[in-house]
Amino acid sequence: MTTPEETVRARESVQEAHRPRRGAPPALAGLLKLLGLAVVLLWCLFPFIWMAMTSLRTGSVALTDPNILRGPFSLDNYDQVFDLGFQFALRNSLIVAAVTTLICIPVAALAGYALARLPLRGRFLLLAATLVATLFPPVALVNPLYQMYLELNALTGINLLNSYAGLVIPYVALTLPLSIFILATFFAGIPREIEESAKVDGATPFQAFWRVVAPLAAPGVGAAAILTFVYATNEFLLAFSFAPRDLNVQTVPVFIGTFERVGYENPIGQIMAASVLVSVPLIVFALVLQRRIVAGLTSGAVKG
Amino acid sequence: MATATRDTGTPERGRGAHIRHGLGERAMGRIFLTPSFAFMAVIALFPVFYAVLMSLYRIRGFTREFVGIDNYLQALSDPGFYNAALNTLVFTVASVSLEFVIGLGFALIMHQAFVGRGLTRAVILVPWVIPTAVAAQVWRYMFDHNPGFVNAVLGADINWLRDPAWSMAGIIAADVWKTAPFVALLLLAGLQTIPRDYYEAAKVDGAGVLQRFWSITLPLLRPAIVVALLFRTVDALRMFDFAYVFAGYSNSLATLSVYAQRFLVAEPQLGYANALSTVTFVIVMLVGLAFISRMGRHMVGETAREVKR
Repeated sequence: MTTPEETVRARESVQEAHRPRRGAPPALAGLLKLLGLAVVLLWCLFPFIWMAMTSLRTGSVALTDPNILRGPFSLDNYDQVFDLGFQFALRNSLIVAAVTTLICIPVAALAGYALARLPLRGRFLLLAATLVATLFPPVALVNPLYQMYLELNALTGINLLNSYAGLVIPYVALTLPLSIFILATFFAGIPREIEESAKVDGATPFQAFWRVVAPLAAPGVGAAAILTFVYATNEFLLAFSFAPRDLNVQTVPVFIGTFERVGYENPIGQIMAASVLVSVPLIVFALVLQRRIVAGLTSGAVKG
Repeated sequence: MATATRDTGTPERGRGAHIRHGLGERAMGRIFLTPSFAFMAVIALFPVFYAVLMSLYRIRGFTREFVGIDNYLQALSDPGFYNAALNTLVFTVASVSLEFVIGLGFALIMHQAFVGRGLTRAVILVPWVIPTAVAAQVWRYMFDHNPGFVNAVLGADINWLRDPAWSMAGIIAADVWKTAPFVALLLLAGLQTIPRDYYEAAKVDGAGVLQRFWSITLPLLRPAIVVALLFRTVDALRMFDFAYVFAGYSNSLATLSVYAQRFLVAEPQLGYANALSTVTFVIVMLVGLAFISRMGRHMVGETAREVKR
C-alpha cells in the first residue's frame, strides 16, 4: 500500500520540477486552500497537543478543568511513569520491534525477489496467496497459539508466554505477507537489464541478486522495514494476551492500554506522559524516514 | 506464465556460451521462497487448522472432551456473540464510510494546495504512527467526564464512556481520526496518477468543477478507492484495541475480536474461544476475498506483468 503512493511521489517531484509556474490563483481560492490545509493539520495534531499539555498539568485542576492551558505545570507525571517502570516497556517494545524487523525483512526480501524475478511455477497464485495473507486477522492466531504455547511448555519446558520470542514469532508471521508484497513490487520495478548485464559478465544468479540487485532495492527494503517496525510497535492484541503484566516483556501498547487506576486516583497525567514518551520518538522516526524514502525513490525514478 | 518467455527450466549449468557456477535460477527460486512460506505455514496457517480442531472440544486445563460442533451451536444461541457481531458491523460501516469521505476530502485538499504541502504530508503521518492503544487512551480521556474536554468543546454534557451508543460513537471518532489520514495518503497517490490534461480538456469543453469530479476524478480514482476500502474494511472488522481500551470486555463495545479473546484468559473456555476466533477468521477472510476477487487481479497482475517484461 505504500508502494504506489511512493512511486507517485517520486514521479510527482520530477513533474513539479518541470511544471511551468502558473499565475497566482485568485486570492480567495488561495485562502480557501490554506484554510483546508489548516483543517488537515489541526485534525492530525490536536489530540497530540492535548496529550502533551495534559501530561504537563498537575494537581486536581488537571482532572476538573478542561482548559488545557491552565496550570500548574510540572514534570511530575513523567517522574511517576518512570517510577512505574515505563522505561522497561519502551525497551521491550524497541527490542521486539527491532528483532521482528531484522528477521522479517531479509526473509521477505528473498521471497519478494523470487516472486518478482525467478522462474517459479504458479507465480500468480503465490502472489495472490501473499496478498490474501495480509488480511489475516490476528485474533485467529491468539487462541490457538496460546494453547500451542501451553502445550509446548508442557512437552518441552520451553515457555513462550511472557517471553520476547513468544511475541516476535507471530509478529514475523503477520508482517511477512505485506513485506513480501511490497518487496516483490519493488524488485519488479528494477530494470532487468541490470541483472542481465551482470550475468553476461559472468555472475551467477545469486551473485546477480546479492551484489547487483539487492543494493538497488535499498529504498524498498527501507519502506518494508519501516512498516514492519511500526506494526510491531503498534500491536496490542497478541502482546496483551501473551505478555500482559511482566515488566520484563510487557510492551508499550500494553503498558498504556491497560494502565490501571490505583485507588481512586485518576491516572490521566501519567498515561499522557507515557503516551508522549512513546509518541515523540515514533513521530520523529516517521518524519525523518519519510524524507529518506522519498529521496531514495526519486533517485531511483531518475535512473530508471 | 512467466516461464514461457523465460527459462525452459533446464539447469543453468553448462548451458549456452557462458558457464555459470552456483545455483540455477529455478533452484534459487525455491530456496528463496522456502523460509517465508514455511514460516507462514507453521505459525499462521497451522494454527488456523489447530483452532478448527480445538473448537470441536470442551477444554478445561489439560483435559479435553470431544463435543463436535457444540461450541458453534453455543455461539449461535449466545446473545453475546450476536451483540459482538452487531457491534463489529456498526463500527465497520460507520468508521469506514466516514474515513472514506473525510480521507477523500483531505486528499483533494492536499492535492490542490501548493503552499505547505510538504508540511501537511509529513504531519499526516502523525495519527498513523501513534500506536492504536495509545490513541485509544488519549481519546478515552478526551471523552471522559473529568476533565471533560470533548464536552467542553462541543458545549455538551454527554456521558460518553457510560452510555453504550455514545461510547460507540467515541471509538468510531477515535478510529476515524487515526485512519482518515491514511486513507487520504492512499487516495492522494491515486489522484496524482490522473493526468492534468484530462482536467484541462474538460475545462475547455466547459465542464464544471462537480462534473469534472464525477466524470474524471472518481472513475479514475477507483482502483485507489477499492484498495483503501479493502484495507480499512478488513482492519475495522478485526478491530480490538479501541474497543478493549474504551470498555474492556463490556458488551457495550465488544467486537468479534474482543469477544473471542475474552474466553482465552479472562474466562477460560478454550474450545469456545477457538470456535469464536474461527468464525471471526472466516468472516474477515470472506469479506477480504470478496474485495480481492474484484481487484486482486489488478493488484497482483501489475507485479506479475512486470515480471514478464
